[in-house]
Amino acid sequence: MDDIILENLSKDFGSFRAVDNVNLVIKSGELFSFLGPSGCGKTTLLRMIAGFELPSSGAVRLGSKDISDLPPYKREVNTIFQNYSLFPHMTLFDNVAFGLKVKRIHKKEIRDRVYEMLNLVKMADQAGKYPNQISGGQKQRIAIARALINKPSVLLLDEPLAALDLKLRQHMLIELMNIHDAVGITFIYVTHDQSEAMSISDRLAVMNQGQIVQSGPPDDIYERPASIFSAYFIGETNFISGVVTAVHEDYLELDCQDGSDKSFSIDSSFQSAPEPGSRITLSLRPEKIAIARNKPRYQEDINMLKGQIEDILYLGTHTQYIVRVGKLKFRVFSQHKRVYFDDKALDWEDNVWLFWHDTDTWVVDMAGDETPDADLNESGNLQRYVKRGKS
Amino acid sequence: MKLNSAKFYKGMNLTIFSLMMVFLYIPILILIIFSFNDARIITGWQGFTFKYYIQLFQNATIGEAFRNTMLIAGLSTLISTTLGILTALGLENKRFSGRKGIIGLIYIPLMIPDILMGVSLALLFNFTRVNTGMFTVLIAHITFCVSYTVIVIQSRLEGFDYSLVEAAQDLGAKPSYIFWKIKFPLMMPGIIAAALLAFTLSIDDFIITFFTSGRGFDTLPIYVEGTIRRGTITTINSLSTLMIAFTLFLVIVTKRIRKIIVSAL
Amino acid sequence: MQSTLQSRQDRRRNLSSWLLSLPTLIWLTCFFLIPYLIVVIYSFLSPDIYDVKFEVSLDAYRQIFSGDYLRPFLLSFRLAIYTTLLCILLGFPVAYFIARSKEKTRNLLLIFIIIPFWTNLIIRIFSWRIFLAYNGVMNDTLINLGIISQPLEILRTDLAVILVMVYVYLPYMILPLYSVLEKLDFTLLNAAMDLGANEVKAFFRITLPLAVEGIFAGTLLVFIPALGAYLIPQLVGNQQSLYVGQVITYKIKNIPRNWPMASALSLTLLLLVAILLLLMYGLYRRHQKRSQWQ
Repeated sequence: MDDIILENLSKDFGSFRAVDNVNLVIKSGELFSFLGPSGCGKTTLLRMIAGFELPSSGAVRLGSKDISDLPPYKREVNTIFQNYSLFPHMTLFDNVAFGLKVKRIHKKEIRDRVYEMLNLVKMADQAGKYPNQISGGQKQRIAIARALINKPSVLLLDEPLAALDLKLRQHMLIELMNIHDAVGITFIYVTHDQSEAMSISDRLAVMNQGQIVQSGPPDDIYERPASIFSAYFIGETNFISGVVTAVHEDYLELDCQDGSDKSFSIDSSFQSAPEPGSRITLSLRPEKIAIARNKPRYQEDINMLKGQIEDILYLGTHTQYIVRVGKLKFRVFSQHKRVYFDDKALDWEDNVWLFWHDTDTWVVDMAGDETPDADLNESGNLQRYVKRGKS
Repeated sequence: MKLNSAKFYKGMNLTIFSLMMVFLYIPILILIIFSFNDARIITGWQGFTFKYYIQLFQNATIGEAFRNTMLIAGLSTLISTTLGILTALGLENKRFSGRKGIIGLIYIPLMIPDILMGVSLALLFNFTRVNTGMFTVLIAHITFCVSYTVIVIQSRLEGFDYSLVEAAQDLGAKPSYIFWKIKFPLMMPGIIAAALLAFTLSIDDFIITFFTSGRGFDTLPIYVEGTIRRGTITTINSLSTLMIAFTLFLVIVTKRIRKIIVSAL
Repeated sequence: MQSTLQSRQDRRRNLSSWLLSLPTLIWLTCFFLIPYLIVVIYSFLSPDIYDVKFEVSLDAYRQIFSGDYLRPFLLSFRLAIYTTLLCILLGFPVAYFIARSKEKTRNLLLIFIIIPFWTNLIIRIFSWRIFLAYNGVMNDTLINLGIISQPLEILRTDLAVILVMVYVYLPYMILPLYSVLEKLDFTLLNAAMDLGANEVKAFFRITLPLAVEGIFAGTLLVFIPALGAYLIPQLVGNQQSLYVGQVITYKIKNIPRNWPMASALSLTLLLLVAILLLLMYGLYRRHQKRSQWQ
């Protein structure tokens, strides 16, 4: 089976650039997701792979074959549409059999293969029904059967779970993963829901404004975001900006303003050494921060900050604290373990210490182009603050 | 207080509606009743009889006029509906360069009194030295039906779920296969509506047929008008009653047909 | 920066649209546009008893401009106005009544309105002839009931023409009105009455403005055909006052023929219709601008 190669792929609609110079290799057999906010170009990208849009420039290749201008019916690619698009005037059997009937396969073989597929998706007893007689989840399964029966090299899924309710979504997610394991072909998944993308993918690509911001395995993207957008879009994070005061072998020192006249200094590991004096931004995930009333013992590689609790949100599995340090706000997740550093639970307006390991921060911006404001740590619109960097 | 005035207005509307029903149906009912009247002219009731119905069926000219009407209606429906399908498909493409012009061309005949179309066609056939008869009538009927069929089919096509076409393409179907197996079946309700409309317009037409039929070719409306003008109206009542029955039949049938189609989908 | 792949596909789609529309395009050009061209040509020719002489003559237009044919046009105009107004006055309550009825009854009521509409035009006219005749049913009944002593001579008058015109064209007004009224949110009326307006005020300030679109559509379907009416005036009208439709038809069908005259009259009628359409379009646009809040 072949890899999918996207080469300098772009798509313009008039003066609007929907997909901007995308270069990517999707390995055969992978479950690969495109994740991004609405309008980021992920659906357009998918449609170009399927053949419903023609690239404005660049190419789509399946292995060594350039399929960029092949019509959809000539590509070995099948799509699961967002609203399933089952043919309303045909039975479920005929819907699933459609791809085979087009190829004029023998009636008996069609029958066998259709029932094989229906059994795979556990809908064999409903073969005679019509699409308007079954539920959303069942339509989803028929759509899968209809696509997979053609033994495509690649299966494209366009927000397939968007129309389902939460519990069903969770269930179908696992079903999709099982089907992927069973069938073994490449799945390309498009969604705006990060938990879907993270749980299901072997690798994923984060998209924004037509470009791929970062691609890689889910844990890579989560723990080591390549840009402010990646860090912000996936999960929650705290941004810390400051000026580099010293660069050592395996850590740097950062001097940060806390919004009032005070400043504090923290250490951080780094991917590549920045220039002393340059302005950089770090990302620090809330679950990496520990919170306590008493100042912890000094340790060489632990950062400590003093602040005041402004807000407490009880979320069942953990509690979210908003802690004010000067004018900055830090989001902290604290799981409910029986082992506390103190005996008493934390309350509003308590003075607390935040501490974390200096390898838990990750440099997300070195160029200083993208400088999140102090306000960024509140729930704000990222687009306002992030300018297009050069990458 | 409010309730009373609301009832008053409702009552007034109901009265007007009932009067309207009387207005609409009395002449027709009289017609039907008098078709069974045993009298040569319409003066008072002179006994119940079927004889004018029998005379009707024995009348060869009426039979011929009827056949002509059906022939023209059938052919013009077929052709104008086909033209309607083709054009509606062509107009689907919103960025089609000729779209505005062609839509305009199709709407204009609907905005002009029938008589002008009759006159213009009569002059056309005169100018081109074509003899008036079945073909000229057929051409005329197709001409005035095609605007209607295009509009009916096109408006049904507006709400068409295009993702079904994409799904079919995705599954390997070529455009021609998609048309016959996906598009055409789903267009069927619109096509049937258009065909029924064209059929009705065709069997009903007088003025355009009047100008394009010449001597030898009569349709039912032409025949009836001529008979009324000449005054020999004995069988017209019966004919009219039968035509009314036919209309009722069509109305019931269309409802049935629509139900069948909807459930078949 | 458009790619060549996309523009190639666009051009292909455009071409196939042209091909699909071509048959109808050709048909309408040959049998709709060109005939009118011929009408224009013929209007400048000379009449002959059976046919047309290909000698240029402006006689037809001269006669029209000197006002010889003013009367038919005025009569037709008057007929169209009366018919349209009566259709609006009578049709609106009916459409309103149906729109306000329960969903289930609505369809039934509509069918009742449509059945006469589907009945053949000539039959409907004929039925009125029977009804209105000097010794017809209406007169017989009225005399028997003692309401009148002498039969009314309604047939063969302008009154009969208007009556039958309204009868025939009423559904064309009711249906567009109904389709607009059906979409009306009647809770708006309740809101208005809550704010102090009585039924009449609420009607004139709320219902009517929103129904104007329906009135426009209905007028289009009634007024313009009424201008060119032939059959109804011919069968129930007074042979002394001829309407435009009749004049044109006589000039085409009756011997001696005068096709140039008929052509010129047709073009004049066409011009009138065009002017009316432009007027209505202008009014419609003004109405749309005023109600941009919709």
